[in-house]
Amino acid sequence: MRSFDNPSQIIEALDRQQYIAEEEFATALYLLLKLHKPLLLEGPPGVGKTEIAPVLSALLDTELIRLQCYEGLDVNAAVYEWNYQKQLLGIKLQEGSGLSVLEKEKHIFGHEYLLERPLLRSIMAENRSPVLLIDELDRSDEEFEAFLLELLSAFQISIPEIGTVKAKHRPFVILTSNRTRELSDALKRRCLYHWIDYPDLEKEMRIVKKHLPDIEEKLLKQVVNSVQQFRKRKLVKTPGVSETIDWAESLLALGYRELNAGAFDQTLGCILKSAEDISQVRTENADVFM
Amino acid sequence: MKQQAYAAGSVTESIVAFAQFTRSHGLNVGIQETQEALMSAECGLLIHREQFRGALKAIFCHSPEECQLFEKLFLLYWDTNPIDLQEVKSRTSVQGMIAKKTNTSLVMLGRGRTDKETEEGKNISGASETERLKKTDFSSLGSLEAGVLEEIARKLFQQMAVRLRRRMKESRRGGQVNLRRTIRRSIGYGGEPVDLLRKAQRPKKTRLIVLLDVSGSMDKYSYFLLLFICALRENFRQLESFIFSTSLLRISKALRPGSIQRVLSVISDQAENWSGGTRIGTCLQTFNEKYGRQILNGSPTILILSDGLDTGPPALLAEELKKMHRRSKRIVWLNPLKGTRGYAPTAGGMQAAMPELDEFRSAHNLNCLLDLENILAYA
Repeated sequence: MRSFDNPSQIIEALDRQQYIAEEEFATALYLLLKLHKPLLLEGPPGVGKTEIAPVLSALLDTELIRLQCYEGLDVNAAVYEWNYQKQLLGIKLQEGSGLSVLEKEKHIFGHEYLLERPLLRSIMAENRSPVLLIDELDRSDEEFEAFLLELLSAFQISIPEIGTVKAKHRPFVILTSNRTRELSDALKRRCLYHWIDYPDLEKEMRIVKKHLPDIEEKLLKQVVNSVQQFRKRKLVKTPGVSETIDWAESLLALGYRELNAGAFDQTLGCILKSAEDISQVRTENADVFM
Repeated sequence: MKQQAYAAGSVTESIVAFAQFTRSHGLNVGIQETQEALMSAECGLLIHREQFRGALKAIFCHSPEECQLFEKLFLLYWDTNPIDLQEVKSRTSVQGMIAKKTNTSLVMLGRGRTDKETEEGKNISGASETERLKKTDFSSLGSLEAGVLEEIARKLFQQMAVRLRRRMKESRRGGQVNLRRTIRRSIGYGGEPVDLLRKAQRPKKTRLIVLLDVSGSMDKYSYFLLLFICALRENFRQLESFIFSTSLLRISKALRPGSIQRVLSVISDQAENWSGGTRIGTCLQTFNEKYGRQILNGSPTILILSDGLDTGPPALLAEELKKMHRRSKRIVWLNPLKGTRGYAPTAGGMQAAMPELDEFRSAHNLNCLLDLENILAYA
């Protein structure tokens, strides 16, 4: 696994992985690696919060474990579950064996009957620290958040039947949130924090260029400029960077070399994802955005 | 406490003092954060100013608002030149949001609260008196009765909150088979699942959003309605509350400690809020734009407490209500005027709002508020 001596090295390494980061973000990542403290990323959708996790795991040459949160996510789906079918079979097989109840119990609650879910897997790593991505944490229930506290501060998980499992190699945890609800203070205090905002014109152009090296300068500038204009409007769904890339890619695929009124009209659906937004933008003159 | 970096003797001391400095200005910085700040300095982040600032920011802040405050504090602490100190004195007062000291009583209550001592002397009690008061319109209360009613209200609201909680606990029944516990139990029977243990159904928590009108025309009611909201908080942990008249103010955080006195002092600080006319439409628009995305998720129940006397355009009110309706489970509008005999929702604003409401009720006396329990229990 690579190690970094300062944030500037991280910026360079990320750049090679096609991810453009500012110094502040690189510093936060540096602290994540040095202090082993989880990093909470917040910001509007589509600015590369989730994207950083696979990039970081590639950078460190380590495994990426991902947990997607949703409403109703519980311990069984996130941490571990017993393999019930196997347990039932196990009990049947032991029927004639003459083992005592205690021994039987010990057997069917052994490691081979345990199904590891992402969180448990992240602390069971044998060789090196994996990257654990807990995505869109704001979608989960408050109870689940409380459950994460043990993992995030002590990097251990308690399983009543087995005992406490402690991490040999502490994972690098990245949590993301879209702020659809406020996370609890207890959780926030266990994390480093970084807010990723929409990039400015120059940075966004660099990002798009990274992903689409073939794009011509003129089209690139027009596309990014219009998206920046869109963000200034009051839209239902403000487009993120990933939409910018999608849009530029679609224009390339359709063979456009510059953004004219026809191309604009034809591909508006790639960048604006709500009927109200599209009609609002269409009422304005397309030239305003170019 | 040191207010500027130059006052400290060593780097360590100046970092620790900075942690204290930010804490005193409202950032949630504890010993652990201070330690981590020192560790980050040790990691070599101290060399570059921007990196060090970024590191401290990642450690000390937990929201975009805090980040903004941090930027200010950082400059203030590390960049202050002793020569500029005179001017700085005034700048350092970036104090926290709520001043705690105010304990003043309110004009808004529509009744002076000065004669409290005399109220306590005359202790009217008895069931019939209580019943009568429960049915009395808040607006026609004398100051003496108001005190008594306040006591009754407190008690009844508390009982209501307890009842709501209990109902939620006991309605768990049935549910899926809990395989994990069933198998564990079955070992004793040699592996036959004799007892089927079931998963208790988790009580579904509804989120509740309360919007309270505190404009002049609601004067007489605001206080009791606020009491009512405080009681609701006991039950709905995820209660979001707002007050509005000409502008909107979020009071969820202020309501947290449960002391109504503090909320009132916050509101009185915003006195200009409830003098002018009501602009319900504009306030709901602010609500949708500023908080809608963050709060209107998971289809919450929305409770609007207002008399519907809107000075803004009714069309705006209707449109904003429609937006809210789309993202909520239901909208309940409580109008104190509905209790008045012969009232019909003819005011422009109220009429525009009617089609978007799921429930339109009165809220002029205690009984009406207590009736709401039934709606909320199954909300």
